[in-house]
Amino acid sequence: MAQEIKRISPSIHRKPSPSNMEKGKVTYCTDLEKSVIISNFERRGWVQVGPEDEWNFYWSFTQNCRNIFSIESGYRMNDNQMINHFPNHYELSRKDLLVKNIKRYRKELEREGNPLAEKTDLVLPSGQVVSRYLHLDFIPVTYVLPADYNMFVEEYRKSPQSTWIMKPCGKSQGAGIFLINKLSKLKKWSREAKTPFHPQLSNKESYVISRYIDNPLLIGGKKFDLRLYVLVTSFRPLKAYLFRHGFCRFCTVKYDTSVTELDNMYVHLTNVSVQKHGGDYNSLHGGKMSIQNFRFYLEGTRGRAVTEKLFADMQWLIVHSLKAVAPVMANDRHCFECYGYDIIIDNTLKPWLVEVNASPSLQSTTHNDRILKYKLIDNIFSVVVPPDGIPDARWNKIPTTEALGDFDLLIDEDLMEKEDMNTRFCKFQRVKQ
Amino acid sequence: MKTIQGQKLVASPNVKKEDFKQTLQQAMKEKGLDTKLRNTVFHWVRTQSKQNKLDPLTSLSKASAQWEKRIHKSLNSMCSDLETSLAKIRPQSEQDELADKWNELSTYNLDLTKYRPVYAPKDFLEVLLTLSGYVPFTREDEPKWEFAHLPLQVKTLDQIRKLYLEWSSGEPLLGANPHMASAVPGFVTLEAERVSLGERVAALGYAPVVQEYLKKGSPQCLRAKLWAQVLGSEIKGQQITYFNQLKKSVLEVDLMIDKLIFKDVQLTASNDDQYFVFEDVLYQVMLCFSRDCDVMQQLKGSIGSPLTVTIKGKQTSTDSLTVFPPSGVIPFHGFTMYATPFCYLYDDPVQLYYTFRAFYIRYWHRLHYISTHPQGIVSLCLLYERLLEANEPLLWIHFRNININPIRVVFKWLMRAFSGHLPPDQLLLLWDAILGYDCLEILPLLALAILSFRKENIFQVNTLQNVDAVLADLSTISVIPLLQLALMRA
Repeated sequence: MAQEIKRISPSIHRKPSPSNMEKGKVTYCTDLEKSVIISNFERRGWVQVGPEDEWNFYWSFTQNCRNIFSIESGYRMNDNQMINHFPNHYELSRKDLLVKNIKRYRKELEREGNPLAEKTDLVLPSGQVVSRYLHLDFIPVTYVLPADYNMFVEEYRKSPQSTWIMKPCGKSQGAGIFLINKLSKLKKWSREAKTPFHPQLSNKESYVISRYIDNPLLIGGKKFDLRLYVLVTSFRPLKAYLFRHGFCRFCTVKYDTSVTELDNMYVHLTNVSVQKHGGDYNSLHGGKMSIQNFRFYLEGTRGRAVTEKLFADMQWLIVHSLKAVAPVMANDRHCFECYGYDIIIDNTLKPWLVEVNASPSLQSTTHNDRILKYKLIDNIFSVVVPPDGIPDARWNKIPTTEALGDFDLLIDEDLMEKEDMNTRFCKFQRVKQ
Repeated sequence: MKTIQGQKLVASPNVKKEDFKQTLQQAMKEKGLDTKLRNTVFHWVRTQSKQNKLDPLTSLSKASAQWEKRIHKSLNSMCSDLETSLAKIRPQSEQDELADKWNELSTYNLDLTKYRPVYAPKDFLEVLLTLSGYVPFTREDEPKWEFAHLPLQVKTLDQIRKLYLEWSSGEPLLGANPHMASAVPGFVTLEAERVSLGERVAALGYAPVVQEYLKKGSPQCLRAKLWAQVLGSEIKGQQITYFNQLKKSVLEVDLMIDKLIFKDVQLTASNDDQYFVFEDVLYQVMLCFSRDCDVMQQLKGSIGSPLTVTIKGKQTSTDSLTVFPPSGVIPFHGFTMYATPFCYLYDDPVQLYYTFRAFYIRYWHRLHYISTHPQGIVSLCLLYERLLEANEPLLWIHFRNININPIRVVFKWLMRAFSGHLPPDQLLLLWDAILGYDCLEILPLLALAILSFRKENIFQVNTLQNVDAVLADLSTISVIPLLQLALMRA
């Protein structure tokens, strides 16, 4: 996120009064001066104010959001204030914490004897047999370095032909990522790294190393990943919505697994930021294909059943990744968050979660992109703001079908419980009679 | 191939000499040869009934010949300006490179800056607009550009309603509302019903039945198979061999048209967010198409008289001459778009090629050659004009008042059969109807329906630029409900 960070002084102690509400004008504050956001505010007749003023709605940078929630700031939000991040979103958006949370979630389910955590044996190409979760195997085998170095080496030795991808935990936009296919290369890197890489030392600049998906699904011979937008308005109970419009990001160079291509980042990484500087980048389509067209293509060439299964699997993946972090998220009712989910599909049509972004780019690379992002923001606002149009942390967070717009309900544990109770109540009534 | 199978069958013990006819028919049915034979006859009869005679209307054939001359002249002058040859043997190193990059021709670097498309839809339209100049017009007050002056018969809306009977009688169409409740017991939605029926139709594999099925729209998951069945374009070993021969001819002889093909794919498909992913397959398909002399053979009489040129580098003999290109078809700007939608149905370039080729031979060539055929572009323009005048008179008058020829705002849609103008899912529903009713008249009908739908906005503007702006974005159009509405009685 190379954006200018507007810092709020952490010494604000006053509690903003809802006096602007009496005037009937909703106020907003935004750290991001982009027309896609501002035009959506202005459409609603909201008035822009600064972060130190009385805002009802704040579209903030993650850092500023964390400051607001930090104890030192003493800032207390009132009931008519909403903000677009959860304080500890990094549980989902940092690569190492995401992996940690998912692993913990799976282990807990396993301990409970929950059938979701059922395991199965998988025979690797090397002949080795490993154990994988049958239903929750949606992240590639991943280790946090330097902490899990020894575990990584053990796993690596099971299939020494495999390729692994190293990603720095705190970076985005494809920065600092590289591939290795030899343990010696990793050792070489650690020797050359600025800070000494010591398995015992806890290194601030930690990395995750994941099994590289070397059999991605290709379309037209090109590799791609999927970007999906997921809106969460609450973690406990979990309320999540999936935006109907997403896209596939294509590599501009044809996918090639020969070793010489290992260092060619244009082939392997699909981040638009990386692709943008490749020689063949086209700004008319930006290397993006809509998810609707992708689905249409898949159905036409592979049939309906496998297509529907893939999309169901992706929804499943998203829901369980959210359930995994739900117990540790600070479930502040003033918060909502729109995540950018990056998913890779392999050639067996299995989706893999690559990462989750808490600040998905709102930059538009093409005309279609601009429209998509405008719609996205517009629908986010209509889902999170109650029907009367005034931001309110207390409302029941059950949007009408109309308010959902192009969002589809993924899961609403609140509604599910209400339906459950209703069924039980009806049964009870019948028994009483 | 089929006669060999037939002979084998006749010689089998299942066929008895005594009741030959009956047992042969029975044996054929059992072996599935029955359907195959019926399909073969069906496709053969189709080709026989095509108009291969010379165009009766001499004025149009004159215009057609002159246009063709212009194109050939333009090619020759481009060739001499660029100091190249129309056809020459490709040096071995180039052949090797091309063969190497065959699956990723988007990386094959060519300097195409000096090459321009031979013609574009707007050039062709200008030619069509002069056609009425070949026929004396009777009324002084009518604009010269109207197609109405041509003595061609086209249908009225009522006649079209009779043709698209299932639509005009309000039958449920897949493209209109797939989620509506099915009238057939056992199916929740229309979509489920159509999928089940479509699977049975596909299993039967009998082309006329498939064609009938396509009238009400096909689910995307069955389309690839159904279209190949209707067109008789399913591939076997023979087709793969032939396709590889075409590839070989691409590699061996360098035709100037290759540069034009590369340029067209780059300008159209590669820039389109719906199709850019498929550019590599499209290069293969379009290059091979240009070398396919079957196309010229099957379209004899309908595509004029192609150029014959000498292949530079070959010793003078009978095979040092080649038709330029062998397919007899010179591509124009946007020609690739006839093929792009098939990328949503076929991964395999060979299957894609044959289905595209069948579509071209059956339909698309009519959209860019001048003829009096009722499905030809001239008749379609006239049909559009007539439908507009008769059914949207206020719009017609508005165009008169602002001095815009109404054909100008829809011509590019007609010439490309809406490819590139509609999103793929809508486009393929439209093309289902083309196949199902075996008719291109749905194209001007859709053009009319869209204008009618947006007429309020059109009334607000008075320049061609602004009318184009009103019609630029068709991404929100639901093609089938719009068409069905136009066809059902008001």
